[in-house]
Amino acid sequence: MSFEAKRCGVQFSPPSIVLIYEHKETKTIRKRIIPVRNFSKYSDYSMAAERLKNHPRHRDYLEGVSQSQLEKLHIILRDHMQGFSLERSLASFNLDPDEDLNKLDDEELARKKGQMDELFEKNRRHKDDPDFVYDLEMDFSKTTQEKCSWDEESDDGF
Amino acid sequence: MAGDAGSIPELDQKKYDADEQVKIICLGDSAVGKSKLMERFLMDEYRPQQLSTYALTLYKHTATVGNKTVAVDFWDTAGQERFQSMHPSYYHKAHACIMVFDVQRKITYKNLANWYKELREYRPEVPCCVVANKIDADLKVTQRSFNFGKKQGLPFYFVSAADGTNVVKMFREMIKRAVDYKQNPGDFMDEVMQELENFDLEKKEDNSEADEDGLKAESPDLV
Ligand SMILES: Nc1nc2c(ncn2[C@@H]2O[C@H](COP(=O)(O)OP(=O)(O)O)[C@@H](O)[C@H]2O)c(=O)[nH]1
Ligand SMILES: [Mg+2]
Repeated sequence: MSFEAKRCGVQFSPPSIVLIYEHKETKTIRKRIIPVRNFSKYSDYSMAAERLKNHPRHRDYLEGVSQSQLEKLHIILRDHMQGFSLERSLASFNLDPDEDLNKLDDEELARKKGQMDELFEKNRRHKDDPDFVYDLEMDFSKTTQEKCSWDEESDDGF
Repeated sequence: MAGDAGSIPELDQKKYDADEQVKIICLGDSAVGKSKLMERFLMDEYRPQQLSTYALTLYKHTATVGNKTVAVDFWDTAGQERFQSMHPSYYHKAHACIMVFDVQRKITYKNLANWYKELREYRPEVPCCVVANKIDADLKVTQRSFNFGKKQGLPFYFVSAADGTNVVKMFREMIKRAVDYKQNPGDFMDEVMQELENFDLEKKEDNSEADEDGLKAESPDLV
């Protein structure tokens, strides 16, 4: 039995997580609607996501969906329960490279990290990949020349 | 928040005086990838110990340096970076420091100066390096030279916790430097600390913060 997650999203009523996946044996694309139970606007999104990820009936389908992706979907569901618009909810995940993330609380930070996770997961090399190298090394010392603009306006004694 | 320096009850920091024990700390802004780097280096060995009361995560690792087995404790922050400052106990007895920034966010690079300044207040001499993480996001950054730390001679690494580039190399070199430093500490503070312990100041734990402040203030005259 093997499933490959393709896309996922939410459905507001009843609150559910929607998963589009490929059934590897039959090579068919299917949709699975997973109702999110016992989840209210006061619930802990991270615990709920973990519960779902380990759920005996769903975990095989959700293997390719990261914990943070599931957290994000739960946050969107919860925002909706709290009366926030979808736009506002999605905007909170946006990454502004100039924003000081030290200033965010746990949940706001989790949103940003969830966003960063997309690229992280995309570029990630897993240890079961056939070409995985544990101590991968690359020498950049020969290619480094340009001075970095981040070093200008050197106000702080770099 | 944590108690006085060196007196986190779950953690006896005296063990770091033993030859075969080193403590390595990670510094840097929120979300630069400190925890992901730890995870990538430790892989299956990855068993973090959360000390949430202290906003601290500890990772234990066993390394071989030369023909010696060394127990390494990595200290990672779990939210304390939010205060843009770490509790003194975080720096206490550290043998090396890994400073991380995110190549996609300039502000995290600029903030290195603050982290470095704080590190040197507590640990004037410990080996330290600068780590540019997330190079997988844009390999072109590796053509640029980032000059922070050049003057101080800090080693610099381009790494990616996602694809693993140079992560293991960086950690191994830092473990080696931590061990070397421990054998030849240059820190005045370290020696004084050791001496204080030898004198067995009973009340030290209760008062250690005040002690440290006092030492810090004096050290410039004495070196
Ligand atoms: N593309 C990419 N993303 C990364 C890398 N390392 C970390 N991240 C992302 O950055 C986020 C924050 O990383 P984390 O280790 O939690 O940062 P910390 O707050 O410094 O411990 C993670 O959720 C990842 O999505 C990396 O090497 N490449
Ligand atoms: Mg972290």
